[in-house]
This record gives sequence, structure tokens and C-alpha cells, in this order.
Amino acid sequence: MRRVRRASWTTGWPVVAAAGMGIAVWAWVGASAAGPAAVPHYALDPAKSSLEFNFDQAGAQNKGKFTRFAVSFDFSPENLAAGRLEVTVEMSSADTGDKERDDTLRGGDLFAVAKFPQAHYTATQLTKTPTGYEAVGKLTLRGVTRDVRVPFTFRTATESGASVGYMSGKTTVRRLDFGVGQGDWKATDQLGNDVGVSFALRLSAAAH
Amino acid sequence: MGIRNTTQRWGAVSQSLHWLIVVLLIVQVTLAEMADELPIGVKKLTLLARHKSVGITIFALALLRLAWRLQNPTPLLPGTLKPYERALARFTHVMLYVLLFAMPLSGWMMSSARGFPVSWFHIFQLPDLVPKNKALYDTLVTTHVTLAVVLAVVVTLHVAGALKHHFIHKDDVLRRMLPLPSKGKL
Repeated sequence: MRRVRRASWTTGWPVVAAAGMGIAVWAWVGASAAGPAAVPHYALDPAKSSLEFNFDQAGAQNKGKFTRFAVSFDFSPENLAAGRLEVTVEMSSADTGDKERDDTLRGGDLFAVAKFPQAHYTATQLTKTPTGYEAVGKLTLRGVTRDVRVPFTFRTATESGASVGYMSGKTTVRRLDFGVGQGDWKATDQLGNDVGVSFALRLSAAAH
Repeated sequence: MGIRNTTQRWGAVSQSLHWLIVVLLIVQVTLAEMADELPIGVKKLTLLARHKSVGITIFALALLRLAWRLQNPTPLLPGTLKPYERALARFTHVMLYVLLFAMPLSGWMMSSARGFPVSWFHIFQLPDLVPKNKALYDTLVTTHVTLAVVLAVVVTLHVAGALKHHFIHKDDVLRRMLPLPSKGKL
């Protein structure tokens, strides 16, 4: 009897395992359906996105842009709590349309790209505002991390059957808060402290 | 000395504008030479920003000066001048006016072509005169520098003429551009 029972348990365990897996799958699907909406994940369409900055040089407004940056964005207006924005900027890609100025920007007193090649922005706190949304996150620039608020707008569209998101906004970064400006560059009369950062991104929805 | 010019001497407005521009031109050359020596950095930017602001100031003063000149009598050249001296005096004066406009305008255009908008003493930003263009910028640098050399030559002629009148002819030509009493000799 003992031998028979043992044999039946042994031969029966794949059935139990299959049932267990079935329950797990059911629970997972059920939880997804019943819980908060799944948050779409968006990746950057670099060709149709821009990340620009403007600054005061000798009392006049000047513009520049970053040509290489990455964006990862989890976002759903229905589930802001699950949202997450991550941006990585290659600082050496700064382009103000003037080689001498760009070389100066990349130098040790300003971006110091040799030591700090990338800037990062990570926000997990996304909130609704009267005009759109706001990300509250941490910007790490030139090795210094500080809170930066980024108001933005977001809309989705379906293009050629694919879901895309358009995100745009602007904020102001005080360069000296991050040590962008050592030595003579600590003075703000020739290069203003406030640097405007604006972006217009085209994002494509991707599987998680 | 009156405010307005007469056919005999320059009035207070013309004299002030003349000497103010002389001072500003000296400042301009000094700032440009100092900036040239420096590597790219805040100090160079500061000097160049001042050079641009002073240049725009000279441009405005030159406009004012030309307008005033057109609204006033112009003191006559001495009757003793030979025809070629008269022609040379006319030429240097016309050139001085042309350069007072051409210098700041070529500098302003140069800044625009480089893609660096010009500000007047951080108070207001001027519009760009030409679109950003590297080749145009290079041409304008050459133009600005060449005009500066031409200005130096014309100013030398102008000063030499004024000193010749003052010390050799001992006439009123220089005195009438200064708050000095007239000797009545032209």
C-alpha cells in the first residue's frame, strides 16, 4: 500500500505543478486586469526629438542643443504613480553652432566632459498640474545632484498603427548650483546663471 | 560759443560729439588690442562685449552727429587752401564719416554672422543684421580689420592737417573745434 501511494504521488506531481502554474498565470492576468492600468513604456525617437538650451552670453540670448541623449518614459495619465522618467544626456554632444564655444563648454571649467561625460535626470514623482504634468526628480550634472522640477505636456497619437507620445516642456537650471562654471566662469555677467532647457520629444510606445 | 555751428566755428554740440567720439575710438582700439591678446575665456568675452557696446554707442553718436551737421551751417575751409588741399580735406572728412558708420556696422554684422547676438551694455539686445554664416563671418573679420587700418591712416591725415593748421599756419582750424577763443584768422 505504501509503495502504491508513493508511486501515485510521484506520478501525480506534474499535474499538481501544472495546476499551480495555471493558478499563478490566472492570478497574474487577473491582477493585471483588476489592478491599475498597465503603464506604457516609451522610447525616444531621436530623429524627431530635440533637447535645447538657451543662455545669456554678454547680455544677449544664445541657443544650443544636445544632439545625443536617451529617454526612457513609463507614463499613463491614469496611473501617474507608476510613471518614471529617465533622461541621459551625452554632454559632449552640446552644440551651440560655434566650435570654439563648444570646445570651451566641454572644458574643465564648464561641463568637464572628460570627468563627467553624462548628465542624468530621474523622476519617479509625476503629478497633474492645471496645464499638464510636472516631474519632480533629481538631476545629476557635473557630479552634483539636485532636485529639478520639469513641467511638461504629453499627448498620444496613433501613427501608421503605432502608438506614439509627444512630450514637450521646459525648465530652468541654475548652472552654478551644479558647479558648471569654475574659476572666472563663476561670474555671471558674461554667462548667465539661469540656463533654460526645453525639449520636444517624439516617443514610441514599446513593450516593457 | 553757441550751441549751433556757424560758418566760422563749431558749436558746443558738434565739439562735444567730436571729442566724445575721439575718446571712444581710443577706448575701442584699447579694448580690441587687449582682447586680441587673451585666450578664450570670461576676460576676453568681457572686453569684447564692451568693445561691441562702445561700438554701438559710436554708431548712435555718428548718426546724431551727421543729423546735427545737416541741420547746421558747416564752418568754411580756410580760403588760403590750395585746390588739392581742399580736396584732401574733403576726402578725409567724408572718409571719417563713412568709417564711423562702416566700422560699427561691419563689427555688428561680424557678430551676427558668428551667431553671437550683440547686446548694448546688457541693457538691450540688438537684432541680428545678417544670418549666421561662417564664410561671411571670415569676410567680415577681414573687412573690420582692414577698415580699422584705413581709419588709422585717415585719422593720421586728419590730425596731421589739424596740427599743421594750428602750429604752422597758426589759424583757427583746430581752435574752432575747441572751446578756445577765435584768433580771427582762417
